[in-house]
Amino acid sequence: MKTNEFLSLLEETLEMTEGSLSISTNLKNLEEYDSLAVLSIIAMIDENFGKSLSAQDFTNVTDVASLIEKIGKEHFE
Amino acid sequence: MESSIKDIEYYLPENILSNDKLSREFPEWSAEKIEQKLGIRERRIAGENETALDLGQKACEKLIRKYPKEQIDFLLFCTESPDYFIPPNAPLLQDRLCLRTDIGAFDFNLACSGYVYGLSIAKGLIAADISKSVLLVTAETYSKHIHPKDKSNKTMFGDAAAATLICDTEKSGIGNFALGTDGTGYDKLIVHNGGFRNPYDPNAELIEYIEGSYRTNNNLYMNGPEIFNFTIKAVPIVVEQCLERNNVTIDEIDYVIFHQANKYMIEYLRKKTKIPQEKFHIDMLMTGNTVSCTIPIALRNSIDNKVIKSGDRVLIVGFGVGYSWGATIITIN
Repeated sequence: MKTNEFLSLLEETLEMTEGSLSISTNLKNLEEYDSLAVLSIIAMIDENFGKSLSAQDFTNVTDVASLIEKIGKEHFE
Repeated sequence: MESSIKDIEYYLPENILSNDKLSREFPEWSAEKIEQKLGIRERRIAGENETALDLGQKACEKLIRKYPKEQIDFLLFCTESPDYFIPPNAPLLQDRLCLRTDIGAFDFNLACSGYVYGLSIAKGLIAADISKSVLLVTAETYSKHIHPKDKSNKTMFGDAAAATLICDTEKSGIGNFALGTDGTGYDKLIVHNGGFRNPYDPNAELIEYIEGSYRTNNNLYMNGPEIFNFTIKAVPIVVEQCLERNNVTIDEIDYVIFHQANKYMIEYLRKKTKIPQEKFHIDMLMTGNTVSCTIPIALRNSIDNKVIKSGDRVLIVGFGVGYSWGATIITIN
């Protein structure tokens, strides 16, 4: 998946306007990022990458780049 | 001997905890957002001196007034909120309902898989000619396990009780079961303290375990992401196993009821298991997640609303605490 596509997917998942996220956005600082948002991201990653991220993974997530790293860079172009 | 569900009734406590009230207490979540995401508008909360046993009694009274109660010859009580460590709730309820004394009665401790497991026990008791008429009670008061400042769990869970009468019949109304257990998840939904491993601690530390949600180790803890991961893995498999063991395809199933955990989660599981939307039950609007009671409440409401008709084959799937999960196919007559 292209990074831009992933950013769009993530914006859709978090119900944010297009273009509001960048690779360096710290997810934890977002108003939209709460316990329900984490469930939505888990579903999005399962659906698109067939991967499950643990609760621990989410504890360590900071910016979008760190989320991409958790999913695995091999999934990205 | 075969067995079938003869009737179901449920009881909800009177106190209502609405989204409006919750969002006044926790302003970062609006009432609308809770309803839209979780599919819950309000939940019922047991009174301070009202226990799962009391709720179970009320549900049973609604049910047994329709039948000669002398015929009930087994009582099963599923709860994680018993009145006492010793004795179990079942004998207390036998006495309160003035059931016969020459009957079997015991509790079993399960959460969201409890209803499916209860049906499997009832079916076994009837098949072995130990019983002809089993009263299965599921009753839960998670509100008593939840810390008052735990936004997340307070929003999700409601208290309730359901009573189901399972009787011997010529034609089978309870199909084959697919059950599962994985104790590696024991600490993902847990009350740490209060048993004999970790006694109740009056000075337990208040922990902000997720942003805006507080608990101590004396209270219910749920690791939401891990529970979701578990269901994503376990539910599609158990659905497939259950269909296989009953030799049917999903097209031959008239209706599907998953444990009503929350709308977001079960809608994702529906998509993942490729169950058509029109066959899939989502309704926890006025009750919330009532643990072992969501499936019998859904069955009762769906029969009353004529969504489930006589002869329909209904796939039911429970999953949660343990981890424990299970599925079967019932035919409603």
